[in-house]
Amino acid sequence: MNQADVSKLVSQLRIKVNPRLRKFRNPGGPEERLNKLRKTVTALIKHERIELNYPRADEARMYAERLISDAIRYGDCHKTTMEMADYWLTEKQLVHKLFKVLAPRYQNYNVSFSRLYKAPRPYPGDKNLKAVLELRGNPFPSVTPDTQSNRNLIHNVLLDEAKKEYRQKKYEEIASKIEMEAEKMKTTDAATKETSV
Amino acid sequence: MLSFISKKSNSIASNTRNFLRHSTSSQALKPTEEVNSSNNKPKDGRKSYAEFRHIYPEFLPDPKIEFRNSIREKLERSDMIARRTLIDIPEFYVGTIMAVTVSDKHTPGKPLRFVGICIKREGCGLRSTFILRNVVDHQGVEVMYELYDPTIQKIEVLRLEKRLDDELLYLRDSLSEFSTFDSNMEAEILAEGTPVPVNPIKVQLKPRPWLERWERKNLKGVEKIDLPEKFFKRAAELAKPYEKYDLMKQYMGTIPEEEQNEIFAEIQSQLHKLEVTRKKMKRKRTFVKPTKLA
Repeated sequence: MNQADVSKLVSQLRIKVNPRLRKFRNPGGPEERLNKLRKTVTALIKHERIELNYPRADEARMYAERLISDAIRYGDCHKTTMEMADYWLTEKQLVHKLFKVLAPRYQNYNVSFSRLYKAPRPYPGDKNLKAVLELRGNPFPSVTPDTQSNRNLIHNVLLDEAKKEYRQKKYEEIASKIEMEAEKMKTTDAATKETSV
Repeated sequence: MLSFISKKSNSIASNTRNFLRHSTSSQALKPTEEVNSSNNKPKDGRKSYAEFRHIYPEFLPDPKIEFRNSIREKLERSDMIARRTLIDIPEFYVGTIMAVTVSDKHTPGKPLRFVGICIKREGCGLRSTFILRNVVDHQGVEVMYELYDPTIQKIEVLRLEKRLDDELLYLRDSLSEFSTFDSNMEAEILAEGTPVPVNPIKVQLKPRPWLERWERKNLKGVEKIDLPEKFFKRAAELAKPYEKYDLMKQYMGTIPEEEQNEIFAEIQSQLHKLEVTRKKMKRKRTFVKPTKLA
């Protein structure tokens, strides 16, 4: 049982965090693990979309989100955050990119800063699960195809027809209600006329 | 010199009179680099959540994901507040000198009082504990108390201060003068609003053998360790300087700010009420029984 460390404030990550961190296969130990993840995080910040194996992508995503959330929270004038960015980004232009481009971009986000897609594996070939890791707001076209705009695709055709049917049913209901109310008014009018006369 | 830890208090009964309850300073000392960017402040006059997490760290749950249970945490928090309405549990840190009065089942009606310096603070929720250390009759004594133990009658803070380290376990291997505190010590009252003072004292360690390898621990509150070069070489070999850059390890050892604010938002009104009553009690003049003159 431990007491939570209150010396540093961190932002909540908006991705699913695994309870246990992956060790990977490192002859160089934990230091090498961090070095490898460092390269992945640098590549993600540099290219904004990278294709790699799923476990490494999952791990690097957590670290990238942490780095960006720290950059947003503390900014570049904060010594510890700058040291962190300096360690994690091996190319120093990317430190500028992190604080000047990515932090303002994600300032008001209430979703995660990155997306992780599972990619198809080429068969026959590498048996490892593949993934595509990208930052939100990147300039490339979407990874998943756009299935919404083309109304001639079968699922859109079916959905449009279903909507039409539903609307039709609703109009009929409203029309029948109005008719019933009109009839009621007629009968009450007739009743009142009779009584008055 | 061996020091032994006992679950209950273990030493001399002393009659000290605390005329005034110790005042709690309203501002905890913040680390210099921290930027308080949270805009979630409760209504004016109350402490901001940033201070709550230093003063009431045991209200935050265990950061280990496998041990989290929101219902249990909520129930624990309400129980903790209920206990705090009965007994005043003051603000204290590792390095504060405190006195704990506890009831002993073997001597009913006679409470036991132990004075010591807080060397460690562990645990969260109702199981949060702290260890007090003192040297009594040339014998080092450490007692671990649970903050929310119902048998504890009184917890007083005699000197509220912090030290340069988070844990003072090295006092076990230091000269006894650094761990000796007078059992009849009187409470030192700080003016309201002063930040918690940091005692920059550097403790002198006894020669080896030690209980732990203190040269490997980067202790700030210890005088320059006088050991042959090979110890420091080995310490440098085993050092993990990359660990401080491990962002996820950091994240998993703490509770994120949004969650902290949620937790404190639930309980802040009740904690504020307790603060108010504490200040009232402090200002109230305690009745001193007049001694019969000859």
